[in-house]
Amino acid sequence: MRLKILVVEDDREIRAMMQSSLSVEGFDVQTAVSLSEARALLQHASPDVIVLDLGLPDGDGVELVQQVRQQQTLPIIIVSARHQEAQKIRSLDAGADDYLVKPFSVGELLARIRVALRHRGTALAAAITEHTLDDLHVDLATRLVQRDGDTVHLTPTEFNLLARLVRSAGRVVTHRQLLTDVWGPEYTEHTHYLRLYMGQLRAKIERNPAEPRHLLTETGVGYRLAIV
Amino acid sequence: MRRVVRWPRMNPSTPPAPLARPLRTGASVLGLLALATVGAYGLDHQVSLTSQAMLYVLVVVIAAYSLPRLASILCALGAVTAFNFFFVPPRWNFAVDNQEHLIALVAMLLVALVISHLANGLRRETELARSSEARARQLQELATTLAGATDAATARGLGQQALDAAFTGPNHLSLLQADGALDGDTLPDVADGLRCCMREKAMLGPGTGRWPGLNAWYLPLGDARQTFGAVCIENIQAADEAGREHAQALCALLTQTLGRVHLAAAMLASEAERQRQQVQSTFLAAISHDLRTPLAAVVGAASALQTQHNKLSTAEQERLLGSIVSEASYLSTVTENTLQLVQLANTSQPLQRDWEAMEEIVGSVLARVRARDPGRRIQSRVPEGLPLIRADAVLLAQLVGNLLDNALKYSSGAIDLVVSADNERLQVSVKDRGEAIPPERQQAIFEPYARNDQTGQRGAGLGLALCRAIAQAHGGSLTVRRRNGGGNNFTFSMPVDPQQPVGDAPCA
Repeated sequence: MRLKILVVEDDREIRAMMQSSLSVEGFDVQTAVSLSEARALLQHASPDVIVLDLGLPDGDGVELVQQVRQQQTLPIIIVSARHQEAQKIRSLDAGADDYLVKPFSVGELLARIRVALRHRGTALAAAITEHTLDDLHVDLATRLVQRDGDTVHLTPTEFNLLARLVRSAGRVVTHRQLLTDVWGPEYTEHTHYLRLYMGQLRAKIERNPAEPRHLLTETGVGYRLAIV
Repeated sequence: MRRVVRWPRMNPSTPPAPLARPLRTGASVLGLLALATVGAYGLDHQVSLTSQAMLYVLVVVIAAYSLPRLASILCALGAVTAFNFFFVPPRWNFAVDNQEHLIALVAMLLVALVISHLANGLRRETELARSSEARARQLQELATTLAGATDAATARGLGQQALDAAFTGPNHLSLLQADGALDGDTLPDVADGLRCCMREKAMLGPGTGRWPGLNAWYLPLGDARQTFGAVCIENIQAADEAGREHAQALCALLTQTLGRVHLAAAMLASEAERQRQQVQSTFLAAISHDLRTPLAAVVGAASALQTQHNKLSTAEQERLLGSIVSEASYLSTVTENTLQLVQLANTSQPLQRDWEAMEEIVGSVLARVRARDPGRRIQSRVPEGLPLIRADAVLLAQLVGNLLDNALKYSSGAIDLVVSADNERLQVSVKDRGEAIPPERQQAIFEPYARNDQTGQRGAGLGLALCRAIAQAHGGSLTVRRRNGGGNNFTFSMPVDPQQPVGDAPCA
């Protein structure tokens, strides 16, 4: 069965580019040019992924993210321009799964969609509890973290931080989401905890902490655990 | 601190406590009369009646000079009566037996009245002279202090001070705002009067011939061409012509100053606008060059693919496609840098600072830049345990990224990325082995669109200008030095907050 993608984008050229390159990859692509059209389409169609541009003529994309999240868990990928930084982060905090910044390449778009689909349904079905990439192996069930086969000893906070990223492996997790899930909702402004603990975690896990292989920084947004 | 000048009140009708004054005046009259009587009695039988009368004349003159008119008349009448009662034969009654004495008494009364009248006139003139002198002095001092006023608010404060010193008030001074409203909180009817006098461009109120029914003077602050505001002076007298003239003189001075301040502000604004337009046009001329060149390459390659792709070899097509992608991404970088620089230069809003780790910023930049560094020419050295910095991570990433992009573009050897820090400063150095920038160009390369262009290679446009703007926005600096053995060392340095955040947090 062909996977269905809803592309919400008001610029004609970019919409046409996404439609053709996604169709070539075998997706069934539907397009909408505004929030209202997207809402109308969502009432009948049930896409597997939504690619949502933030700069739409009839409203804030964050509204659509919130609305969709009330009923569905389908992946939402945000497409933003550089000046929409704040709106992008609000959308991610509201439950969008990932983001792309214009101008982006087709390769990046496809990679994001692949990651999003990997997580499809994980909120309902079994969550990711194991992660392996190159020299790193993490098993959340047994609280085991290994590098090159050697056990890495993490403090409880370091482990919780890593575990939160493993559950969303490949996807960006915002600062606010990490602080809320690891420290608690009253710590959302304590960004320095993240800097300090992420530094410790990198020192234990990465070969070269200054050029990380696993714990990637999304500057100004959050962190991402590499899966490729 | 501003000097507070207090002038004596110049309104002649300064009201004292309501009852004290007549009582004191009455006591003075009685005292003077008693003094004359006692003196004359002491000289009784030793001198003539005329000399005794002279004593009474003396006190009448004193009273006429120093006491109000009514008191001096009462004093004269009292003197005549007392003299008659105590000394004029027959003594100890009011009868006068000699016609000569009667004439003397009447003459004495007339002399007293004339002196009183003259003395009063003299006193009034002295008072007027004194008050007009004080007013002249106030005008002069106000002119001096106003000369130093460079903004309307200062002029307004000085004006209000001068009004309060000159008039009992309450006095209101309101200036017209840009939106046409009057500033300050005045009562509606006062504001109404202020507006009316501004509209009529003339003084209103008692004695002015306009709206004599008002109980205050309203004066516009302005001339035939412009109006800056208005003044209201309450508790005035229609007959106080000198006061009215003084109020007009004060307002004329204020108007002059406000006009000067206004003109200076307008000149400053137009000069700033002229400079802004000049900067903008050089900026536009320069950016259009940096945008046109890659755009021409993109259009050229794309149109070649469109019209000739059957005739082109696969390798040739690949090359054209590669050129489109790289030129377009260069365009994107130039656009980003331009927008960021304009934003940093134009917005007054502070940076979005947060606690950031330089290790992370360097890591994210390397992840991006490695795509253009297949040979891994960049070697990074980042020590452990760097202090956290209060910074805008997106901007710092742009700074480090631009420096690395430049080094990749302008040099061919190894590139060192070195981070170091002590308790006070954090430094990031990007060292290349490319052609050293001559010392005389080391400042110019940080100017927007000045570029070390001997290589014929396109520069990062305003990349370095943006880097320096970002460094300065963080209270830091960006400098370039020639390296020993050839090449350039670009160093970004910024202060480290001595108050580092504490990392202890409960585990959830």
